[in-house]
Amino acid sequence: MSQRINRRNFLKILGVGGAATALVSCSAEPPETLIPYLIPPEEIIPGVATWYATVCRECPAGCGMLVRTREGRAVKVEGNPSHPVNRGRLCARGQASLQGLYNPDRIRQPLLRGDSGQFQSISWEEAERLLVERLADLRRQGKAKGIACVTPLLSGSLDHLIGTWLAALGSKRRLTYEAFAYEPLKAANRIVFGLDVIPSYDIGAAELLLSFGADFLETWISPVAYTSAFATMRAYRDGRVGTAIYVGPRLSLTAANTDQWVRIKPGTELYLVMGLIHVILKERLAPSIPQKEAKQLKALVKAYDPEAVAAVTEVPAGKVFRLARMFARARPGLAIGGGVAAASRNATATLVAINLLNYVTGNVGRTVRFGPNANLAKLATYRDMLSLVKAMDKGEVQALLLYGVNPLFTLPEAAGFRAALKKTPFVVSFAPFMDETTAEANLILPDHTPLESWGDYSPWEGVHGLMQPVMQPVFKTKAVGDLLLSVAKRVDDRMAKEFPWPTFYEYARDRWGELHRRLAPMKEFEAFWEEALRSGGIWKEARATPVRLSPEVFQMAFEPPELDGGAAEAFHLLPFPSLVHYDGRGANRPWLQELPDPVTEIVWDSWLEIHPEAAKRMGIGDGDVIAVTSPHGALELPAHLHDGLHLDTVAIPIGQGHWAYGRYAGGRGANPLVLLSPDPEEVSGGLAWSATKVSLRKTGRRHHLVTVGGSSQQFGRGIAQTISLAEMTELAKDGEGAGREAHRPKQIYPPHDHPKHRWGMSIDLNACVGCNACVAACYAENNIPVVGKERVAEGRIMSWIRITRFVEAQQPNRPDIRFLPMLCQHCDAAPCESVCPVYATIHTPEGLNAQVYNRCVGVRYCSNNCPYKVRRFNWFQYAWPEPLNWQLNPDVTVRTVGIMEKCTFCVQRIREAEDRAKDEGRVVREGEVTPACAQACPARAIVFGDLKDPRSEVSKLSRDSRRYQVLEELNTQPAVTYLKKIRQALE
Amino acid sequence: MTRLGAVVASLIATLAIVTLIAARSWESVPTQPLAFSHKVHAGEYAIPCLYCHVHARRSAIAGIPSVERCMGCHAIMKTDKAEVKKIREYWDRQEPIPWIRIYDQPDFVYFSHKRHVFKEIACKTCHGAVEAMDRVQKAVVLDMDRCVACHMEKKASIDCLTCHQ
Repeated sequence: MSQRINRRNFLKILGVGGAATALVSCSAEPPETLIPYLIPPEEIIPGVATWYATVCRECPAGCGMLVRTREGRAVKVEGNPSHPVNRGRLCARGQASLQGLYNPDRIRQPLLRGDSGQFQSISWEEAERLLVERLADLRRQGKAKGIACVTPLLSGSLDHLIGTWLAALGSKRRLTYEAFAYEPLKAANRIVFGLDVIPSYDIGAAELLLSFGADFLETWISPVAYTSAFATMRAYRDGRVGTAIYVGPRLSLTAANTDQWVRIKPGTELYLVMGLIHVILKERLAPSIPQKEAKQLKALVKAYDPEAVAAVTEVPAGKVFRLARMFARARPGLAIGGGVAAASRNATATLVAINLLNYVTGNVGRTVRFGPNANLAKLATYRDMLSLVKAMDKGEVQALLLYGVNPLFTLPEAAGFRAALKKTPFVVSFAPFMDETTAEANLILPDHTPLESWGDYSPWEGVHGLMQPVMQPVFKTKAVGDLLLSVAKRVDDRMAKEFPWPTFYEYARDRWGELHRRLAPMKEFEAFWEEALRSGGIWKEARATPVRLSPEVFQMAFEPPELDGGAAEAFHLLPFPSLVHYDGRGANRPWLQELPDPVTEIVWDSWLEIHPEAAKRMGIGDGDVIAVTSPHGALELPAHLHDGLHLDTVAIPIGQGHWAYGRYAGGRGANPLVLLSPDPEEVSGGLAWSATKVSLRKTGRRHHLVTVGGSSQQFGRGIAQTISLAEMTELAKDGEGAGREAHRPKQIYPPHDHPKHRWGMSIDLNACVGCNACVAACYAENNIPVVGKERVAEGRIMSWIRITRFVEAQQPNRPDIRFLPMLCQHCDAAPCESVCPVYATIHTPEGLNAQVYNRCVGVRYCSNNCPYKVRRFNWFQYAWPEPLNWQLNPDVTVRTVGIMEKCTFCVQRIREAEDRAKDEGRVVREGEVTPACAQACPARAIVFGDLKDPRSEVSKLSRDSRRYQVLEELNTQPAVTYLKKIRQALE
Repeated sequence: MTRLGAVVASLIATLAIVTLIAARSWESVPTQPLAFSHKVHAGEYAIPCLYCHVHARRSAIAGIPSVERCMGCHAIMKTDKAEVKKIREYWDRQEPIPWIRIYDQPDFVYFSHKRHVFKEIACKTCHGAVEAMDRVQKAVVLDMDRCVACHMEKKASIDCLTCHQ
């Protein structure tokens, strides 16, 4: 019998069967449907973006935003160019507001804590009924005074509504609370000038900026506005650039961007300021102040001669002299302070001294202007919060309403809020996220996020930003304004009559009616309202008021700071606000977690910074887990060695260490507030952030702190270059194009032809401060996946643009940290192109180095051959948990596993501009295309345009005397030109 | 080849071919939720394409007419017809009609209707003689070959990033 299956037949069957199986499995996918509108909305054309103006509420700075929506979904936020605070720029936190809107951990419907202690979902109807019953009960029992409400800084309509609503209920317990409330700044202005305000600081106009621990490029007051002003101040003009000096115990990002970092013993800033005034008055460098005042002031600073100052502050006497003379010479100068770094027990005294320093040098009225003042001054103090805690503890608070605040996380643990909360019978939270405080509430009525809400916000006098919902709410949430009005109608008739508005929208419009009568009575209200909606608000110049010295200042006692902690606590603790997480509210945005901290380059974590010498003394290595103990609490964190610190100081970023707050924030690092002393600073009532001493102990365990990038050294390759001011002045004499001509050796490949455009970019390293706004903007615009800590550790971060940080040869007190935004250089002779076996990366006629995703087969030769290391490979199929995927930009392909990707110069924006130009029968205009990075940059460091047009800004900059290209000697002929950072040698 | 092997092989092959035919035909002439006829609208009544696909001259997306637009005429016209009644039902339920997609490009392809309408490329160049179809089916294979051939012929851009971004 030959029934045996031989090899030949076996293969035949296998072949036919295999083909058949392949065909069967090839059956078509289920049909895709096309869902049309039922009734098309007038303003929406599918496929065309609609923009709405609103206000960023990620911090109290209140920058204007424009939100790009597609088919009813917000996909990108940008700064509003007409808003006076940020002038079109936006920081990383603002960019990430979208990840608040689409956060998968948002509270999706009202929740009630059941008898078991677990939250259960309830309907809005029931939730409102519960709230109304409780409030009405308290009123009936005459206990309405026991209703307390804590909100963040609000202004305008919602502020007014909450105030009147609470008053109508019969309570005056209303607190506006922010973790960073600038109490000493306000108190110092009251003491020195008799004004309880926070003035405007004109950083852009200053010739010499002296910052005492104010991190104005990161979180201090209005960072986007100040970064922009700082860039103006630092720009080269007529042989000079503005000088900046930072005094503080830690080399922060702000300090790293100044010309000199004066390392000072923590808490002794006051002495240095007094020393400066001493020298200025003694040497008669302040001729403009009246004789009598000069005499009084002299008496005040008598004890602070430079030698005495040097002994306390560890700043050499010679330097005190030099600083004083330099500052007095500056026309004008500006001294600022009031950040967390200088918030010790004498914070107010320090700021009083800074005010006096500005006063004696004639800066008040020039760079320090009282008007427009910041609305931040309306905040309650930390001491007010303590009184609330005490009242709660005593059982005086029957109902606590929390809106947009998270005191359990942002108050020192030792302040006792946790215990007080337990004693409060009814806690209601209106938070959109399950933060730590909300997790302890009895009833949660989730609010919309700001991007879904009507509202208004005024950060400064005269600046009235208008907020409008940019899309339908993502979840079943309810705007807190609407909720309060609805509750008012149900509490009783009198309250219903007092609050007749059907929704908060009508309420806000009515409030704007008042603004209309005051600011633009000649205009029709409807026109006024529409104009405000379109431009994002209304702005009026506020006049500055002249100020005089108040006699109170001469009664001021300048005492040395007390520190909390005995001899056992050897280290001074400096908690500092994180650039991206602020007071912790940013920690649930995955983009912000994946952005490296600019100074340490660490992602997804928190750490304990310690000076290498101190670490050596204690045998601590990088990554050793350290137990940190203060008289008030303890925590454990991995050590990170950082020589930008005072020897006796350890620093911990604020913002991580959440135990609730969703999947991205939970369980990362530790919250330094558990260590802090709860006692407020005496004079201002502010939290004394840096008045606690701690002791350290090695636990013997280790923790892997993940950083991006490779080396912090340049190894002489001249990647981030600088030029001295003297050289610069020499070159500037020769005019434009005096810079070294690009070295152009022979090419073995034929040159590229660029018939229409050659897109190019210029990046000014003198302006760039390394704030990461460009990186966040790129994530948002280009659908870049977040890969998480473990993947970053494997070198698989996907960012198309990154801030590379180089630390130059260390000289004490002379930081030379250089930041360089690195992205695809779109080389004319691109090394990646010649090695691609499938032509997936090719040069386009417009000078772009294109990556054609559908051609790419993933061999990664291109990445190997790229000298700039800007190409990213998709090792995995990355997913965006619903509804984070709603944010994806429909104009950019979402890449799949196994292909290479990189910066495209935002080709979708180039195409959009070209499309518009074609419609109008013209060519693309200069400035019409702005990639996301350039758009966001608060320092205006990035300029984009057509290199073929010799008159374009980018062409001019590519011939600038400071021009250079990274790794120019490789003859890659990049389309990106860098401008060297200007270096000033200060003694 | 053994008889058993041959039987198994031919069975599998038949099954595969049947499935294939079924899949192909199902893909090219799907049954829509209501029997809208392009032949009647675009053919007999010669209603211009852009009357219903309103966004084609303003956006990359041509747009599918809203139910409101259908009702614009059919609130009074041919209201007794069975298929028109279905529109009425959708409208009464305030529900959009879930049309089945005929033409679909991969996600990495960015095609702009507006650019092609501006250039006066007739709709039928890519969509075939829709005005003769009762049930619309894919009449033209819209692969990259075809796009590029036309772009080359018309001297339009063949920069990769024109369509892939």
